Amino acid sequence: MLDSPLPTASSNVASAVVEGSPIERSLAAVHPLAARWRGRVLDSMEGTEPTQRWLAAVPDIGPTCEVLLADRLLCDLGKEETEALMQWVRGSQDASGAWMSVEGSPDLSLTVLGWWARRCAGDDPSEASMVKAQRVVHSLGGAQRANFGVRLWLALAGAVPWDFLPAIPGELFLLPRSTWVSPSRFAPWARGILTPYYVLARASASVRLPDPSPLMLRRDPDATALVSPRLTRPGLAGDILQAFDKTVKLTQKLPRGPLRRRAVARAVDWLDETRQRHGGWFSTRPTLLALLAMRVQGARVDDPRILGGLAHLRATRGQVVVRRGVGRGQTALAQGVGGSRVSTAARLVLADRHPSDVASLLRMELSSAGPWQDRANALAGGWPHEPGAGAHLDVDATCSVLAVLSSIEESSPLRAPAWAARRRATDVLLAMQEGPGGFARFERGEADVFMQRFPWTDADLLAQGSNDDPNRVRLAARSLTHLGRTGFRIDDDRVARGIDWLRNVTADAYETRSIRTLSALAGAAVATCPPSHPMRQEMEHRLRARQREDGSFGDLVATAHALSALLELSGACVQCHRAARHLAEAVDRHGDDLERASQATCQGFGLSPRLEDPSATAREVSLALRTFVAQTTGRRGRSTQR
Amino acid sequence: MSPQPNHYDVVIIGAGLAGCATARALRDADPTGTRRILLVDKCTDVHPQFSGEFIHPRGAEILDKLGFYAPLVQAGAVDVDGFLAFEHADAQPVELDYADVPNRRPRGLAVHHKTLVRTLRGELRRAGDVELREGWSLIELVRSDSGSICGVVLSGPDKTRHTLTCDLVVGADGKNSSVRKLAGISDEGRETIGFTAGVSVTDATLTRDTYAHVMLGAWGPVLAYPIQNEADGTVTTRVTLDLPKELPAKGAALKDHLLEAYVPFLPAPLSTQVAEAIRRHPGNLYMAPTVDLPAPAAIQPGLALVGDAGGCSHPITASGMTMGLRDAETLGEEARRRAAAPRGEPWLDGAALRRYRTQHDRYVPTRQALASAIYEAFRGEREGSRAIRRALFEYWGSGRSARSRSMALLSCSEGRPSVFLAEYFKTARHALSSSLVPQHARRFPVADRVRRARGAAALAKDKLGLVAAVMWAQVRPSWMPHASR
Ligand SMILES: Cc1cc2nc3c(=O)[nH]c(=O)nc-3n(C[C@H](O)[C@H](O)[C@H](O)COP(=O)(O)OP(=O)(O)OC[C@H]3O[C@@H](n4cnc5c(N)ncnc54)[C@H](O)[C@@H]3O)c2cc1C
Repeated sequence: MLDSPLPTASSNVASAVVEGSPIERSLAAVHPLAARWRGRVLDSMEGTEPTQRWLAAVPDIGPTCEVLLADRLLCDLGKEETEALMQWVRGSQDASGAWMSVEGSPDLSLTVLGWWARRCAGDDPSEASMVKAQRVVHSLGGAQRANFGVRLWLALAGAVPWDFLPAIPGELFLLPRSTWVSPSRFAPWARGILTPYYVLARASASVRLPDPSPLMLRRDPDATALVSPRLTRPGLAGDILQAFDKTVKLTQKLPRGPLRRRAVARAVDWLDETRQRHGGWFSTRPTLLALLAMRVQGARVDDPRILGGLAHLRATRGQVVVRRGVGRGQTALAQGVGGSRVSTAARLVLADRHPSDVASLLRMELSSAGPWQDRANALAGGWPHEPGAGAHLDVDATCSVLAVLSSIEESSPLRAPAWAARRRATDVLLAMQEGPGGFARFERGEADVFMQRFPWTDADLLAQGSNDDPNRVRLAARSLTHLGRTGFRIDDDRVARGIDWLRNVTADAYETRSIRTLSALAGAAVATCPPSHPMRQEMEHRLRARQREDGSFGDLVATAHALSALLELSGACVQCHRAARHLAEAVDRHGDDLERASQATCQGFGLSPRLEDPSATAREVSLALRTFVAQTTGRRGRSTQR
Repeated sequence: MSPQPNHYDVVIIGAGLAGCATARALRDADPTGTRRILLVDKCTDVHPQFSGEFIHPRGAEILDKLGFYAPLVQAGAVDVDGFLAFEHADAQPVELDYADVPNRRPRGLAVHHKTLVRTLRGELRRAGDVELREGWSLIELVRSDSGSICGVVLSGPDKTRHTLTCDLVVGADGKNSSVRKLAGISDEGRETIGFTAGVSVTDATLTRDTYAHVMLGAWGPVLAYPIQNEADGTVTTRVTLDLPKELPAKGAALKDHLLEAYVPFLPAPLSTQVAEAIRRHPGNLYMAPTVDLPAPAAIQPGLALVGDAGGCSHPITASGMTMGLRDAETLGEEARRRAAAPRGEPWLDGAALRRYRTQHDRYVPTRQALASAIYEAFRGEREGSRAIRRALFEYWGSGRSARSRSMALLSCSEGRPSVFLAEYFKTARHALSSSLVPQHARRFPVADRVRRARGAAALAKDKLGLVAAVMWAQVRPSWMPHASR
């Protein structure tokens, strides 16, 4: 069953899901929900108006607030748009006054941004909810303790000195790109932030914004001096670095001839070089900052680069349903962290395929050179995280698209081009393997940035996840799964290295791993190892042991992942039947409200590390039930869950 | 005719390619036409297992000498011009032409295995100078008091036992040779490497119509070559797919696996045609195990092994049949030398058999070493093998003379140890240097370069023993006794 293609076009699905068992009826009920999301996401990729577009990956309010703040300089948002965005900001505020992270805890930085965006929109600071927000900020240490992004805005507004941000020695930009400390070694998101930051900081740029000083914490109510944030982590190394930071800042005050000018010029060139085909930069925050930096460097509002960037920002906004806060259930407009995610789109295509979908995915394949090829030895191929991001490979998106391409219909005229794309993507996956065996998502070396070793508080932002980050583990598992499906087995030293790495990173910690991670690990083991391999047996054992009395493995998405993994491990066993029944009952119980039954999240970038994934429940439940039905009724079907 | 009806000069067990060719070579070596040659095969028709179909010019030359070439072409065999090697489906193929090998026949022959064996047997039957018994199998060897082999016990179609005496038994019964087993010849080192699946495609789109296409990129190499000019003007192409020992799927699921893990790595439009052929193939695909059997002792008193019985390797270099034909030719030459041997003395005496073995032990290990090295490079499951693969393609890309030297070795036309050694060192040097320089990465980390170079060096070192063995086989004086196996 492992290798037979899925039933394809949605009409097939509809006809496959005939009057039958309760599970088949539930599949018939959940499939339209997944299909609706497929329409929303795929349509949004084709460039519909923001008001008709839906965000399939919903960040916290951070990007929306920053767009609203930046608009003071960029002057782009219309009144209606501003109002719709504000509805998202206001609606997401908790009754306590705080704005919450996607995980649901009060967040200092978001609360600062929320309050500030409301001030930009003219909300009265003495209004009860604003006062509550202010108190939350104070109780969490004051705005100056917020994350790097917020402090940057505070510096731009002149509310804190630029010293409250870490110093970047400009010489770094002049170093050859191959040196370990060159900014080209930072993760692409970090590069996208730090390059414009350097330009803005060197120019001591300022943007006229409502005064955020009520959010600052002072030594005592009458003092003018702010409690300055510590830029480094506690400890001797941190102290030394703090001293180093001061030294850099001092030396920056010394006259150093053309060096600084050349460094800024290099950074500006870098901004120009890294602009994407879609008009923006790596994601929303880098785009916003790059636009500000260009404006500060003298670009006019009608500069095509500015207009292109603004158009991209607009294209990455969409409707969302407020899930948490005073406006729960309302529909609003939010700024995404990037365009529609290719990985989500591909999963939705798996769940509900239309004839044109494969062609759309093939059009998004990377075909030009990008910085990921600096350290990865492969020709252009694979997929970016969003359409039009032609220079940035995303291995996560690549794995999702590969799952679609490997189940392409036999009669499809796109079969040969799809095979060619798979070949290129396979080479790319192999080239993106790190020395120890894991896989990089955007660029090799992204998890181990040399500069990140310094005990700087914002150092984590320089890298894309830590080595044993669950996202990284899942990414390696998914990459290996696809290599396995392409015929690579544990006898290949690269696969063996990958499996060893997974075992080392996850050893002794299976209990703490999420079902999603365990399922991904099981998928990798099935695809690459013979049944007798200890990894495969261990995964099966661990996964089976996590099933609960009611047949679930946690929430609906987790249960769907586990069901798919078990189907691959051993076919439709008793535990699969129980899990499928649980999902079917949930579908019947929740009906159209299924999306809200499970708060699924997915990986984001930098300051928005987690995103809500509203299509996940319908999508994953539909996929898992479909594979189950296909296996139990003997219809052709395969699991393509990871 | 011999006065004893149950006595033969030579009994050949196995009427496959090697058995038929040996029968004809011995017949031709007997100008008087009085020696009795018996050829038996357990199958009434061709052995059903999927087997080789591509023959190098050296083999085609022998077939021609034996009078088989013209009938084979008439039966649909295709003249072939060499190999096209694709490092991956999107790469420009490297053309390895037989015509580039100096002073050699410029074309080989490809033919459906069943057509091949049926034609050979038909020709022997037509000539009537070799006794051919189909449906007879060997069950025992008869030994004289001195321990030398002097006869066989056969089981006839009616399952009755028949004991025959002879001066020489030739084991031509393939890689699972019963002759070898019954003679107690060790097959130490025998290893099943994996499997080869085959399908045929009608009028496939090949980049060059008369070349064997070797396509890399999937788990194992895929080969495609024409095997039959059909009466209706179409051409049948054989496509073989190399599979691991632990088959990833069985039966119908294997087809799905091939469609997902192999077909996408073929260049278009061949990929679509192969997919179609796999889907349409009735029942299970043709399958055969691939076996490495380092040349066992090819003789015993009264016994000689030819063809796969005397050693075989992975079919990647398509040289098994050429080796079988060379065995037949060599044995025929020895028989010719002894054509005037008086009655009462064996036609092929101990000295003749030793000379046969010396020759056999020169070309067989060279071919085996090459097949093993090429297979390892083309499979590429280790850093070192991938380095060798890159190096080979780079080397072949470096000029025509490099390609012609490799081709001479691969097509079994070159046996000089100096050439073998020189080619080995050139490839190893290329492997090391190409490991240090990435093909695409602009700032490839040093650690990665070092890992690749270390892999290449380790593989080159691993292969040194094999190279030494081949070299020794080439220069070993024929008088030196063999260690018994
Ligand atoms: C998949 C595959 C692809 C290959 N491709 C190529 C290629 O392209 N080019 C190439 O040169 N080589 C190729 N080879 C190798 C080639 O097939 C063999 O080298 C060749 O067939 C050997 O011929 P043979 O006559 O020695 O043995 P076989 O062809 O095996 O013939 C042995 C004969 O002995 C008979 N026999 C067995 N046991 C007994 C018994 N006890 N009594 C009586 N008769 C018996 C059998 O019925 C059979 O007819 C390939 C091999 C494989 C497996």
